[in-house]
Amino acid sequence: MKRIVIATLALVAAAGAYAQYSGSYTFGGSTTVAPIAYAAIERFQKENPGLKISYEAVGSGGGLKALLAGQISLSGSSADFSADQLKGAVATPIALDGLSVIVNKKGTGIKNISMEDLARIYHGDVTNWKQLGGANAPIVVVNRDESSGTYAAFWELVCQKPFGKAIAYTKNAIVTKENGEVAVKVLATPGAIGYVGMAFAQEVIKAGGLELSIDKVMPTTANVVAKKYPISRYLYIVTKSQPVEGTVEKAFIDYILSPMGQAIVKSADYIPLPKK
Amino acid sequence: MRRRKILEGAVEATLFAAALLSVVTVVFITAFLFQRGSPLFEKVPVLEFLFSSRWEPTAENPGYGILSFILGSFLVTGLALLIAVPAGLAVGIYLAELSDGRSARFIRSAVELLAGIPSVVYGLFGIAVISAVSRTLFGGSGYGALSAAMILAIMTLPTIISVTEVSLRAIPRELKEGSLALGATHWQTITRVLVPAARSGILAGVILGMGRAIGETMAVLMVGGNAPIMPSGLNGMVRTLTMNIITDMSYATGDHLTSLFATGMVLFAFILVLNLVVQLALKKSISDLEGKSGE
Repeated sequence: MKRIVIATLALVAAAGAYAQYSGSYTFGGSTTVAPIAYAAIERFQKENPGLKISYEAVGSGGGLKALLAGQISLSGSSADFSADQLKGAVATPIALDGLSVIVNKKGTGIKNISMEDLARIYHGDVTNWKQLGGANAPIVVVNRDESSGTYAAFWELVCQKPFGKAIAYTKNAIVTKENGEVAVKVLATPGAIGYVGMAFAQEVIKAGGLELSIDKVMPTTANVVAKKYPISRYLYIVTKSQPVEGTVEKAFIDYILSPMGQAIVKSADYIPLPKK
Repeated sequence: MRRRKILEGAVEATLFAAALLSVVTVVFITAFLFQRGSPLFEKVPVLEFLFSSRWEPTAENPGYGILSFILGSFLVTGLALLIAVPAGLAVGIYLAELSDGRSARFIRSAVELLAGIPSVVYGLFGIAVISAVSRTLFGGSGYGALSAAMILAIMTLPTIISVTEVSLRAIPRELKEGSLALGATHWQTITRVLVPAARSGILAGVILGMGRAIGETMAVLMVGGNAPIMPSGLNGMVRTLTMNIITDMSYATGDHLTSLFATGMVLFAFILVLNLVVQLALKKSISDLEGKSGE
């Protein structure tokens, strides 16, 4: 009996997956979710040739506003909206976004840093490791370029609380284009500090770098999932109501949650959802 | 006979078309660059673009000032030439005048090899070696104007060396012989007669190297630090025009993207001026030689 139920379920799921969708849809929202959305939309459209979806990267707040106003039918969000803000809309987690702080072992002399000190480094208020109880050496700040999503995410998660919403990183920082370049610069420069996507930090550790714990919490997937590690957040897809079976929105969410979709999440440098 | 004429005509037409192709390409690139870049100046005054150093293209109130990048380009290129010109001249003179055949062949092939190394490899070398050297010698983080200049100096050396050598060799024999016959030593002949006679050619080589340095992207990107600030000294971080374009290109949209094309226009103008100077210098060098040999 059980087997039949499973087989039936599998069939239904398969039928669902192969159902063809068509029409024009507008999604929108978070710029952080955009790389996932763009890649998923591209694949999803290939499987459904009659379908046209656009994703407007207007930010999480703008996306929710447009969703509630009925201008779009699905929005991406990197903000953890409260029930009040959602006004009945439903947020489905689709991925995790976590950043690791890495330093060069030479010329730093610390293994843990508080969120506050980290923010002060990137705001330019602390310029020597001695001020944080480390080595007497200048801090070489490695940042990402202005248009990177990680650049905005790091400000939002680390610096926004003490220094406000408008990004005001210290300008006296090495600007790099990719996670890989951050790693290379940090590994080659004594006293250097940088941040990379969590998935990338393992490469840095293998190459001799050091991953800092933040307020004594190590950046592990488990700590991120338990919401203990502070430089992390969930990414969501928000729909106006509980997604309804048979709609494009539901199929799209299912697609992102499928192994295929989670692979897209990973290749966009985010953390796939933990397997339950 | 007639057939041969037709064939010749066809070959000529083909070659002409090929020659025309490069002209057409240049025209298209120029037109495209200006078509995409100039709309920026409807929103940002040209003077503000060139003389403001506030580069915050994604801020609420965006700033598109590239002065610090222009100065960065000049600083890095100038420093590079300061290192490369004396060294390049020395090697060029050695190759043309002082070396025996074997060592010259050896050095020449090493220089040619240097010219063939991809710039990204220079960049890797820069991260691994030059930034560390610069950090030890001059302090700072090791990513800055000086490191970028050292890399560019190495990269421009081959151009300067070979043009110097060729210019020296192109000097009519009588000049050298005359100087020696008047009792000048070999060294006096080199410094007082040969180098001055070849100066226009050497200058052209230096400017060609300068063109290469100002247009170089990858290698300086890897060691320059790339901070969008005014260069604060020799070991301060620097962002050049080329670095600015490549850093923002992948994500930029709207006015930000247009501003990158406009940055390209500025770079294009610099290169154009350099090229004109090279052509003038070469023309002068040729007329100098003709004038002298005709005397």
